[in-house]
Amino acid sequence: MIDLTTLTIAEASAKLATKEYSAVGLARAYKDAINDKNAELNVYLEVFDDIEEQALAADARRAQDEKDGKTSHPLLGIPLAIKDNILIEGRRASAASKMLENYTAAYDATAIRKLKEAGVVFLGRTNMDEFAMGGSTENSAFGPTKNPHDTSRVAGGSSGGSAAAVAANLALASLGSDTGGSIREPASFCGMVGLKPTYGAVSRSGLMAMGSSLDQIGPFAKNVTDAQMLFDAIAGLDPLDSTSVDLATYTTQPQNKTIGVPRDLLKEGVDSDVLAQFEQSLDALRAQGYKVVDVSIPSASLALAVYYVIMPAEVSSNLARFDGVRYGLSVKGENLIDDYATTREIGFGPEVRRRIMLGTYVLSSGYYDAYYGKATIARTQLAREVAAALDGIDVIATPTAPCPATRLGEKSDPLAMYLLDIFTVTANLTGNPAISIPMGTVDRDGNQLPVGLQLTAAHGAEATLFEVAKAFEQ
Amino acid sequence: MISLQDILALAGLARVKITKAEAVGLQNDFSTILDYVGQVNAVSSTVEASVPEHHNVMREDVPYAERDIVAMVGRRDVLVQAFPEEKDGFNVVRKIIQKDE
Repeated sequence: MIDLTTLTIAEASAKLATKEYSAVGLARAYKDAINDKNAELNVYLEVFDDIEEQALAADARRAQDEKDGKTSHPLLGIPLAIKDNILIEGRRASAASKMLENYTAAYDATAIRKLKEAGVVFLGRTNMDEFAMGGSTENSAFGPTKNPHDTSRVAGGSSGGSAAAVAANLALASLGSDTGGSIREPASFCGMVGLKPTYGAVSRSGLMAMGSSLDQIGPFAKNVTDAQMLFDAIAGLDPLDSTSVDLATYTTQPQNKTIGVPRDLLKEGVDSDVLAQFEQSLDALRAQGYKVVDVSIPSASLALAVYYVIMPAEVSSNLARFDGVRYGLSVKGENLIDDYATTREIGFGPEVRRRIMLGTYVLSSGYYDAYYGKATIARTQLAREVAAALDGIDVIATPTAPCPATRLGEKSDPLAMYLLDIFTVTANLTGNPAISIPMGTVDRDGNQLPVGLQLTAAHGAEATLFEVAKAFEQ
Repeated sequence: MISLQDILALAGLARVKITKAEAVGLQNDFSTILDYVGQVNAVSSTVEASVPEHHNVMREDVPYAERDIVAMVGRRDVLVQAFPEEKDGFNVVRKIIQKDE
């Protein structure tokens, strides 16, 4: 019997190499765990029916590698869960929307192709907010994902299924996507490590576009080493994504064991026990030899407003493709325009329609300058301030979210839900890499709920993030 | 506060159908959200609006197969299969040309 609760990729990889585990044995252990708990948590929208075949192929490949005297890839046979907006050829990919409920992916996302080359085992596709719009997975057309730490609470979102899958030991690690915090916030709520890489570090080919100047694919894992292994496997320049960059493009400054804290941002709106955990985390980093200094990012207080202009603007453009003409749901109306509108009425949920309309508004003639125009200026200003704040320090630290996981249905007002993204949107607007790592728990109604520490580094400085995060883990 | 008429016009522009009840809900949501994001109206800065730091990545105008991008080769059939309505390998769409009456 394999104990999944403490198992890491690094450990599983070592045990697969020494034949203590087989990929098939590992896959079966996860299948059993999924059969046990998925109905309650609603983590997977689909559990693949060929998990054992994939695992058999991984074991066969390991035997062949051995025969050829080759070292197997460290991810060979590792069981992963994949967010439902990342394409795996021949499998359904619905983005948790009625619009794509029966859509079959026509090709592999680049991140998936790389994982296939490494020989991972795909367990299934995970639940999410529809088209990645939301912070709780409650916007899924197929019901919310429950938080494994307290099933009356949300798992976070939009990659809530991917976070909960790892937290509930229904996958060893997983992939999500992050447009405004959609990896880091559920990682915080579920007590996992979640990384939003530098904009362009991971190819978005095969990721369903939401906000194209913001989106990134990234890993969820139980510890920093595992997240790093997964990131290393999926990162890299890709001719199919013209925004992808080689991280060597960036010159990184030498580390000097200094952490910056934007104190102005923490004055209000953050739960006091979350702040207390944050201060303890800073103490823990001091104990590891880090110096903690104050930094100032004056425009950061505007970041959320800027984000909720730019993101819906991009959403309204990106989701124009779902019109029932080429693929996905297609519902006939009275005429062509009515075909589009009816398809989109039935296919999209309320939050998706709200954001499309909001984006249409801020881009419309007469409002463009006041909203989108101003937001892009503020965004540039913010990027400069973050770059200046990072000059001479390793990372900026904040809590990942102002509170622990909320109750299902608690944030019914859209703006209240948006405010959960207050600390995470900045890294998407500026393109910086950011990681959420567990920083302890806070008590809510007698339940210990995890909260996360967010670290942000300079462009291309994922290595710095991993190093500080590992020091913190100790 | 944004008017109900504006909400309905926006829905038309965005090509989504909404019910009257939904429009009223959206009128409230929009007012709260626009009040909040309206903070950006006050931004005054000397910086230019965002200019991408990286050069646009141009690609050679040759088939994927010749560029060794196997992920995209031979996809025609699967794309055709995804059509809502297919005939002889073509996507059936609504006829939009009409005779003047």
